[in-house]
Amino acid sequence: MDMKRHYYEDVRLFKTNTALALTVLFLAVLASLPFLVGDYALYVLNLIAIHSIVAIGLNILVGCTGQISLGHAGFFAIGAYSCVLLMVKAGLPFVIALPAAGLIAALFGFLLGLPSLRLEGPYLAIATLGFGMAVTQIIGHSDFTGGHMGIHAPRMSIAGVVADTGPRQYAVIMVVAVALGLCAVSLMKTRVGRAFVAVRDSEIAAEAMGINISWFKTLSFAVSAFYTGVAGALMAFALEHVSAGSFNLILSITFLAMIIVGGLGSVMGSILGAALLTYLQLKLQIIQEAPWIGPFLLEISKRYFTTEGLPNIQSIVFGAIMIAIVVFEPLGMHGIYLRCKRYWRMWPF
Amino acid sequence: MNLFFDLVIGGLSIGACYALVALAMVIIYKTSEVPNFAQGEMAMISTFVAFTLMSDYGVGFWAAAGITLLFALALGIVLEVAFLRPAKDPSILGLIVITLGAEMILYGLAGWKWGANQNPFPVPFSEYSGISPGGIMITEINLWTFVTSLVLMLLLFLFFRFTKLGVAMKAVQQNHFAAKAMGIPTRRVLSFTWGLSSVTGAVAGMLIAPISTLDPNMMLDPMMKGFAGAVLGGMTSLPGAALGGYLLGLVENFFGGYVSLEFKSVVAFGVIVLILCVKPSGLFVRHFERKV
Amino acid sequence: MRKGFVISVSIICLGLLAGSFSVVGAADKVRGVTDTEIVIGQWGPQTGPAALWGAVARGTGVLFDMINEEGGIHGRKIKYVLRDDAYQPAKTKAIGKEFVEQIGVFGVASGVGTSPGMAVRDYLVENKVPWVGPATGSQHWTVPFQKYIFAIYPRYVDEAFVLSQYAVEKLGKKKIAFFYQNDDYGKEGLDGAKKYLEKKGLKLAAEVPVEVTDTDLKSHALKLKESGADAVIMWVLPKHAAIILGQSKAAGFQPQWIASSTLSDAALMYTVTKGLWEGVIYANFLDMDSPLVKKYLEAQKKFAPNEKNTGVFFIAGFMFVEPMVEGLRRAGKDLTPETFVKAMETIKNWNDWLGHDCTFTPQDHQGMKSIFLSKCGPEGKVEKISDWLTYPEAK
Repeated sequence: MDMKRHYYEDVRLFKTNTALALTVLFLAVLASLPFLVGDYALYVLNLIAIHSIVAIGLNILVGCTGQISLGHAGFFAIGAYSCVLLMVKAGLPFVIALPAAGLIAALFGFLLGLPSLRLEGPYLAIATLGFGMAVTQIIGHSDFTGGHMGIHAPRMSIAGVVADTGPRQYAVIMVVAVALGLCAVSLMKTRVGRAFVAVRDSEIAAEAMGINISWFKTLSFAVSAFYTGVAGALMAFALEHVSAGSFNLILSITFLAMIIVGGLGSVMGSILGAALLTYLQLKLQIIQEAPWIGPFLLEISKRYFTTEGLPNIQSIVFGAIMIAIVVFEPLGMHGIYLRCKRYWRMWPF
Repeated sequence: MNLFFDLVIGGLSIGACYALVALAMVIIYKTSEVPNFAQGEMAMISTFVAFTLMSDYGVGFWAAAGITLLFALALGIVLEVAFLRPAKDPSILGLIVITLGAEMILYGLAGWKWGANQNPFPVPFSEYSGISPGGIMITEINLWTFVTSLVLMLLLFLFFRFTKLGVAMKAVQQNHFAAKAMGIPTRRVLSFTWGLSSVTGAVAGMLIAPISTLDPNMMLDPMMKGFAGAVLGGMTSLPGAALGGYLLGLVENFFGGYVSLEFKSVVAFGVIVLILCVKPSGLFVRHFERKV
Repeated sequence: MRKGFVISVSIICLGLLAGSFSVVGAADKVRGVTDTEIVIGQWGPQTGPAALWGAVARGTGVLFDMINEEGGIHGRKIKYVLRDDAYQPAKTKAIGKEFVEQIGVFGVASGVGTSPGMAVRDYLVENKVPWVGPATGSQHWTVPFQKYIFAIYPRYVDEAFVLSQYAVEKLGKKKIAFFYQNDDYGKEGLDGAKKYLEKKGLKLAAEVPVEVTDTDLKSHALKLKESGADAVIMWVLPKHAAIILGQSKAAGFQPQWIASSTLSDAALMYTVTKGLWEGVIYANFLDMDSPLVKKYLEAQKKFAPNEKNTGVFFIAGFMFVEPMVEGLRRAGKDLTPETFVKAMETIKNWNDWLGHDCTFTPQDHQGMKSIFLSKCGPEGKVEKISDWLTYPEAK
């Protein structure tokens, strides 16, 4: 039943008992995976988890508050570098450095949010784009952050236990990811979350209702930046190395693509989008080895294109997916899921 | 003192390239209200087509340029019809994502077809010799780029102001439904806009390629800078955007010459953020408030 | 139509999810080695801004094809795995993990890029994966000493040292400027040049950095002109070398250009610069006149006939791996990482390859320490102007 009779039913974290059971099952599966699959699969899962955190953060900003950001690679970089620098230069332990990195990124998010109050639509996109690229360039050039070569990241260690093996890293990253995901879901159910949605739907009406637009917009930027910063810090540990070259415009576009493909405004959509795009990114490079498509593409390459340029198919597939989702399914994968659910609910009528 | 004038010439010549890209962007922005991120790749592919015509088929430069411009027109129209039109009432974010997707597809296609080699782009005017008033070297290609950008800017300005099609384009941007009601074929106008913008981009590409060699990554940087120039000058004003491009070129070169070469590229992005904080609609455009 | 669409999408998703993870297979006795094959992997930038160097990895592939056709090594064929990392360290790390944990390679061959290589270096060393011939002259492969890494590309610092020495002592240039890419590649070259000049009590007339993404180099050219240098050493990508030559000529500045070995494809540079490359002096690490090159180009026609880019980078892909092949041969039938390392360390003054005097000792894994200089003549012809120079005793 979708009808809610009490306020508390509306703000419950899990709407139905089925949802609760499925979530618990999902978490159990996640927890048992390190014992079943190899290190490489765990590494892929780590990447997916990290990208999910970014996607959730970006979704809070874009899907729920209706802003646009093409500069999240900047926050990603800030989070990664702050965490590593705090651990290497200031000697802080991991458990403090990680939230601190997130807070530093949130500070920058707040600073970016301030001028963005006056901007909307394309101008906002351009401003965030400029910010993202400026941050990357500055970090890449200053010797304090290791210049172009970047810094070698130390190992994560919690209370003396060093997370050096695959399963241990997986545990740390997954715990943080799940915690942040749950926080995001509950955030959207609080007053703050509802204010975000109000800003998205109609700013002027929200202001008329007494919601302080400036505060909530900048808060949204800050929260989104916090998530992305934490994810960046975790990425630094997954890669064991940070260098400015990896935080470029393509990364920001990929993040945006993740939430567009996954579905704006929903946590589950973000996770789905992140998973799909991360997986595609890794697997498309080796498309030559795919069963039927590979040789077919090689044949076409030999005849009309250059064989050495075949890996460029990654860009083509990415672009095509982005366009296809916007044109055919604006709600993204979450929308597809909702449609499936609706169809099966009324089956066989 | 010579350094100063050399920097001015350098700034104006690269500024002319940025101005051309900015013009192309603004044309689309004036009608579809979306910044076209695929601009650079469209220009790059047109330039590659010109290169293939000249090197594989032995066509002369002016003939190849003419064919390329026609190709660019077709490319712009095809992109609009294939990618933008099927989207049902998309939001700004959706449009931006579509242009980004188009950019990635075009980049992938170019890399797939032509490989990653550097290629020299032959033009009939020299890149090294030219006139030297007072000991400052102005090369032929700089002159041509500068003149072309001014001429195009003027032509486009007159086109938008005085021809029926130009006014129709402005009408489509201001109020889509009213334009339809007045009998303007809005869909055809939009397609043509993209074609026109693509042609301008192709001209920019053909003028940038001789200096910076032709490869799939050629337009990544100029596009960002042209973008910054358009933002600086005003995304809704053609002369403004072109002037913004020149200004950006000058500022960049002065910064590089006198302050620091390392951070030269950061200037463009710093400029974007600064202008958007201070005067969002650009230096040369009046700001309109939106009513409820 | 909608319902069918929805059902098919849900089934596809479930299928994708199920097929995406494979349980780890049974481990080989020695990773990457069976009785019939040796698995060797390489990453390379096949897409992205550095895609020009993707040819290196493809060259290695042709070498292995050639060797397999001749019967392999001790009865084992080489299975070659090539991955694209688009010059991004994040992808390189993922590829490294894939090599070790999913595919199970015996060793890694070459691999372009200092930052991508650095992202994965420690991981490979920890997992005892022999790595031969990283395609960059960075010091990071030999300093600190790594047991399983064998470097071949002559180090940038040493190369720049030799080039500056040549400029000052042989060409008599007084003011030397350095035009470099603003990352480790360029900076190591800068350090090498400075090391030499300090020894002589001189200083660089100008140090001009350039970003990988820059295309407007007018102000860089003006800076170089302002310094009044009579020789400029370039440590950049082919693209920037071409642009700076054009811009400098337009600005009326024509010093003696000296280039690093990454720009040693004279034919390509001559075409790209439309003839401006004439007169440029540059370092080489491989001898394109060697008869082996002919053999390799014939193999290329046979195994990779569609390859357009058969210049120096492609041939370099052969050169970086020749010592590895020699090491595999010397290790014999009993092939493990330990026997391989021992076999590599028996290579001394080996000249049966495209390079010169390959020498590995248990303390020093920098295999080649020599370069030779050539000059680009008219029509892009190459004129050798020195013999193999070995540093630090180079003259």
